Amino acid sequence: MAESPAGAGAFRHVAFFYRTDDDYAATVAGFLRGGLAAREPAFVALPPGKGRLVADALAADAPGVEFADMTEIGSNPARIIPRVLEFTGRHAGRHVRYVGEPIWASRGPAELREATRHEALINLAFTGADAEILCPYDTGSLAPAVLADARRTHPLLLTDSGPGTSPDYAVPFRLPSSCSVPLPAPPYTAMSYTYRTDLSQVRALVQKHARNAGLSDARVNDLVLAVSEVAANTLRHTRSSGTLTIWYDHDEIVCEVHDDGVITDPLAGRRRPAPDAPGGHGLWLVHQVCDLVELRSDNTGTTIRMHMLIRPRKPPD
Amino acid sequence: MDLLRTSVATIESDSEPYTLVELAGEADVTNSDALREMLDTEVAKQPRMVIIDLSGLRFMDSSALHVILRANRVLDRQGGVLALASPREPVAKMLRLTAADQLIPVYASVSEATAG
Repeated sequence: MAESPAGAGAFRHVAFFYRTDDDYAATVAGFLRGGLAAREPAFVALPPGKGRLVADALAADAPGVEFADMTEIGSNPARIIPRVLEFTGRHAGRHVRYVGEPIWASRGPAELREATRHEALINLAFTGADAEILCPYDTGSLAPAVLADARRTHPLLLTDSGPGTSPDYAVPFRLPSSCSVPLPAPPYTAMSYTYRTDLSQVRALVQKHARNAGLSDARVNDLVLAVSEVAANTLRHTRSSGTLTIWYDHDEIVCEVHDDGVITDPLAGRRRPAPDAPGGHGLWLVHQVCDLVELRSDNTGTTIRMHMLIRPRKPPD
Repeated sequence: MDLLRTSVATIESDSEPYTLVELAGEADVTNSDALREMLDTEVAKQPRMVIIDLSGLRFMDSSALHVILRANRVLDRQGGVLALASPREPVAKMLRLTAADQLIPVYASVSEATAG
């Protein structure tokens, strides 16, 4: 892949459309080797099978690269950007390379929406950063709509026909419309509770239903914390009541909080607040403990849907 | 019964006296103003050491955490020390996730906190 011209604003965010394992290993290893001679820090977050392919292809060069399991750090895609920022923060002042594959075919529709949102937000979070980011997409197994969104969320493409710019990339920044489709309605069996200041009751309800749903004690506590933080924002930022809706099935429990508040920062909760920051810990905590978070906010109000898995998700092939 | 119960005592120990604050129940945005007033009052007495015993606290949210971090800042400027003791796991996890445990020492017990 071509080196970025010096001093021309080094941020590059490339969608790499691959077909075969050989193509994958050669291209990703080549991208990483491009920086190893200059001892550029490199971070790789891939599903485990893909990580092994790359490590094998790098062979003796692999120790110069930091690897992470994307199915862990990116199970909730909102946790990826803070993890990459943590890496770039450790190497401040250096040109860094990052390879991230957050999208695979067995992810469910809500996960795919959030992983696509994450890809779009990379462009905001790393604006002006001295970083090259390569995001592999499996053209053999991903749906055409997912690949079409990858063309919208990446300014650069690497395809069979070589490297190039993406004509579909949105400037100025705009999320793909697939990220803001209305959330599917809760099932009719869902329970709802309207709260004003009785957050203790909100927590008790979440605890009761999460236990009934079969979550472990530790994850019940996580969900209680997340819902309480979101409901606390209703008290902090609005003058009206909020609504908590809870439902679950064999796979997951979902807690949704709706209120009149408005959240305008698309990166809210995706940058680690300083420990002594006067605010900003609420959504950070929500993303850290929940398996998936969906957020819709406009001038009519905010809906935050927090998912906790009861059974583990199907891993990528 | 109040959601958050607090008590304060000055403990005369072999080494140095310290202020022991006990929190019990649930600390959240609905009672963080009261917690702030209580801690402000104690910090204004310029103690050398304040230990907050969290063993009775079932839940703490980020509003309560901000109040504790604020008390830590003021105490630090005065040359005093704040320590947290015996958080239950949900509270301990929250302190880890916010990295507050990097700013305020967290001990397994009040006696460990006094030993520093």
